[in-house]
Order: sequence, then structure tokens, then C-alpha cells
Amino acid sequence: MRSTPPFIRRLSDGAGAAGAAYRAGLAAALAQTPVLLGRAVFYGVCLMVLITFWDKVAAHRLPGTLAARLPAGGLGTYVGVTEWVTLSVPAVHFKLEDDIRAGALEPHLLRPKSYLAQTLAGQAGFMTARLVMLGAAGLLLLALFARTWPSVPTMGAVFTLGVTGAAIGLLLLTLVGLTAFWLRRVLPPMLIVQKLAFLLGGLFAPIAFYPGWLYRLAWFSPFGAHLAFAGAAIIGPPSWTGFATMLALQSFWLAALTALAVLVWRAGLRKTLREGV
Amino acid sequence: MNPAVRLKELRKTYRFAKARRGLLGSLAGLLHPQFTHLEAVGGVSFEIAAGERVAIIGPNGAGKSTTLKMLCGVLEPSGGEASVLGFTPWKERRRLAYEIGVVFGQRSQLWTELPVRDSFALLRRVYDQPEDAFARRQGDLVERFGVGALLDQPVNRLSLGQRMRCEIVAALLHAPKLLFLDEPTIGLDVTAKAAIRDFIREQSQAEGQTVLLTSHDTRDIELVCERVIVINAGRIVLDEPTEQLRRYIARKLVTLQSAAPQLALDLPGVTRRPSEPHTTILEIDTRATRVDAVIARALALGGIEDVTVEDPPMEEVVHEIYAALHP
Repeated sequence: MRSTPPFIRRLSDGAGAAGAAYRAGLAAALAQTPVLLGRAVFYGVCLMVLITFWDKVAAHRLPGTLAARLPAGGLGTYVGVTEWVTLSVPAVHFKLEDDIRAGALEPHLLRPKSYLAQTLAGQAGFMTARLVMLGAAGLLLLALFARTWPSVPTMGAVFTLGVTGAAIGLLLLTLVGLTAFWLRRVLPPMLIVQKLAFLLGGLFAPIAFYPGWLYRLAWFSPFGAHLAFAGAAIIGPPSWTGFATMLALQSFWLAALTALAVLVWRAGLRKTLREGV
Repeated sequence: MNPAVRLKELRKTYRFAKARRGLLGSLAGLLHPQFTHLEAVGGVSFEIAAGERVAIIGPNGAGKSTTLKMLCGVLEPSGGEASVLGFTPWKERRRLAYEIGVVFGQRSQLWTELPVRDSFALLRRVYDQPEDAFARRQGDLVERFGVGALLDQPVNRLSLGQRMRCEIVAALLHAPKLLFLDEPTIGLDVTAKAAIRDFIREQSQAEGQTVLLTSHDTRDIELVCERVIVINAGRIVLDEPTEQLRRYIARKLVTLQSAAPQLALDLPGVTRRPSEPHTTILEIDTRATRVDAVIARALALGGIEDVTVEDPPMEEVVHEIYAALHP
């Protein structure tokens, strides 16, 4: 019988450990159900304010073709989707900052599996619980605000682009967290990334409202892939080509940001091993 | 037989950027940074045989944690050589990780929100342990350390003593050959400390594990380790069997608050230290007189308002050893 090649065995062991970390993260999030419910209530409050605001704007201030393209209660539903993604991404940057600054990284470095992979898997588990909880809350809120639920294909597209967008958000915050190797405190870069996500991601308003050049800039940025694609899918259900294009662009950003996170992590790790925590 | 740990002239020098005064100084510092160098470990050499239990002690900033970090592979040395279980730690950190267990007294390796059992299950995957063998070993350790009733409790609901027992089980689950313990009894009460010491010693004896321990508590050293390496200012001051150092570490300080300004206690091995009125500080050589005998004698005198028992500061112990070596 042929034995498994070492590379495949390492890959399989790594995936097994990451899977266990993912399940642990999911279990940890579910163990804090009151916190999850609190987040769902916060999501509801945000939506109530924003839906009321956008309904008024849409009724009085948005003439022309753009308004006509929106579904019933369109912008409120759009914000529901972008907020669903935003609020589902866990604060991995603060965990990284804590571990790097306070020396909690050391016990993890004494293990045979990558700290970065284990942390990301655990946080992805956390994120899954939030996506499910806030997704259910979102559908409930749609009913409460008397909005029609999107068709099943549209929901499928929003779900796929939203989950992938949340993963991109997790990687963006991971990069922010890794700056703690050099900056110690991650609040300044976090504020920059957060504001860029608001603006270029179109958190409160679709990027389709922007002038052409700014729209293209946002569309091709990781922030657009993070938030705007899922939002765009709820405003106008995408064609198969449109959906595939957005998913391909998201896949590109997932791969690019993962590669960047690995490079930054390795540089930070080299610094830590040389200089100590 | 090859030693479990071998160090030869291991050195570590940290480099810091000098902070300059004023705005212009800060700008100049950005363009032309100047550095200061701090030697944390200055050429340390020793060997530890497999199965030996060794304490590394020294005052704060002596270089013991830096040495331990280099041996674990989480810090690269500036020079010298080290071999831990045949691995060069900083070059083969992940491979070495399968062979060592580590407990940091002040840092948890368990998931705080999860039941202890789930953390153990996660560690099985992290260390690629086969399910059956892992379950058997977990069962043995859980029984030996008496943590069976804690397995389904979330870690953040455990007392410090319970958590520390679980931490040690977690560090042993993958059957490491070498155990690094950094202040394993810090913050624990007397009973929990005694239990942890017994567990570590018995575990090491049962499985022939090598133990390398750092602690500020002289009882950890006395009751767990058979050899002590004293480090001061980045250099080894002394490397002796624990028995040889007992005259330095077998001591306790008892502070008595009393209604009377002075207490007259005359016992062998008990010396009085200078103190304020109504406070009596006694240094006890526990080889000559037990602490409980001193307290009983003091209580018999009457008027005792408070009693504190503590270890002499490690700085003091090391200073005395140093002074004895270099009179």
C-alpha cells in the first residue's frame, strides 16, 4: 500500500486543525447567544433608522431612472444587506492587536500549526454564527417593515456574494490587525479601512450613485467586493454573467488579500522572533 | 546518551531605537535612527539530561525568560548554539512543538468561552493525535490531575487552581518529552500550589519527562526540581543540585502584627529582621524549625493581630548566593 505523500499529509492535517478551530469558533459564538441576540437587536435599530431615512429620500428627492430601478423599499433593503455583511465580520483586528501587544502570541507560536490559519478559521466560525443570526433577523425585519422578500434566485445571489464579501471584510480587518507588529495600536489603520469600506463599499448608499470614474474605482476595489456586490444583487437581481463576474472579482480579492496577509504575517513573525514580543 | 537540552555560549542582545528629545530630535530619529544595545543573555552554557527536573531562577531581568524563549524557539539568539531534543529550536520551531509542552502561568492556552473538553478536542487536531490513543491519554491525565468534573465547564468559570490543572493537562495531552513551565503556581493559594507541585513531580517521574521550570516561589524549586541553575545579569551564577542550595531557598519570612511593641521569640534557625514597633519580621530556616512551630509559639504569647507568611524575594536569594560565591 502506498503511503500518503508528506505534503498531502501536512495539508490534510492543517485542514483538520483549521476545521477544528472553525467549529470551536462557531461553538464559542453560540455559547454567547445573548451577545448574538443583542447584535441582532442593534442591527434592527440601525435598519429601522436607515429604512425610514431612505424611504423618505426615495419618496421626495430621488427622481429619474435610478429610483425607478429600485425594488419596493429598495434602498432600505440595500442597507439591510450591507449592514448584514458589516455587522457579521468579527473584530479580528482587536484580537490580533491583543495577542501581538500583550505577548499572548507566544503560546500559539509554540504549537505546530499556523497561528494565522487557526485564528482566521476560528473567526470564520464566529462569523458564520453572526451571518446566520443576522440573516434570520434581516428576513424577519423585512416582514416587519412590510417589504416583499426577494425571489429565491436573488436571495441565493445575495447570500453567496454576501458571505464571500464578509470573508473579504475579515481579511481586510486581519491586515489591519497585523499592523500591530509595527504600530502596536491598530485603531488608526482600522479607522481608515472602516471609512473606505463605508465610502467605496457603499455601506449606506449604492456606489451606482457615484460619478463614473468613482464608481469604477469603488467597483474594482476590495471594498466594493466586500459590500457593494451583495448590495447590488438585491437592488437589481444580476444576470448569470453579472453574478459570475462579481464572484470572480471577489475570488480575486480573496486570493490577493490572503496572500498579502500571509506575507505581512511572515514579516511580523520574523520581527517577533528576532526582537521578542 | 544525548542530553535533552544542550546550550553552548547562547547569547541574546536586544536593540532599541534611542528616543530623542523635541520635534527636531524626533525627525532626526526618523532619518538617522540611533540604537542602544542591551545584553539580556551573555553566553549561557549548560546541559540537561533526559528525565531531569531543573529550575532556572534569577531576579527580574536576569535573562531566564529570554533563555527559555530561545529554547522554545520563539526567540532567535544573537549567537551561540542550542539543541533541544535534537532540534535547533529557532530553526525547527514547528517540529519541536510536537515534542514539548509549555505552561505559562499567566497566559491560557485554553478557549475561555468553551468547555474544557472542547479545548482538548481542538488540541488533538492541532497536534495531529490519533483519536483512540488521544482519548486513552486524556482519560489517564484527567484521572491523575482530578479534572474529570471540570471537563464540561467553560474555562472562564473555573477557579485559577482548577484552570491551572487543566492547563497542565492540555500541555501534556500530546505526550511531550520535555515540559517548560513558566511560573506555574503564580497567583494560586497554598493548597492549589501544593497540588500542582505534586502533580508535576509525579507526572515527570511516571513518564520520565524532562522538566524545565522558572519560578519566583522557592517551594516550587525545592519540591519539584532536583537541580537549580541561577542566572543573574544574563550569566550563570551557579548550577548545583537543589540539595546544595537548600540553605538559601529553605527559608520563609513570617510577619507578625501584635498589640505588644516587640515579641520575644527564641527558636533555633529563627532570626529577627529590623522592623517597626508592633511588627515583628522573622526569617525562618525551615530546615531547623517549621513555620507552624513559629506561629504556634507566637500565638501562645497572645496579642497577635495578623500573620503573613511569604518567601524571601528572589532578588535577595540570588544576592546571597552571589555574595557567598564572591565574598
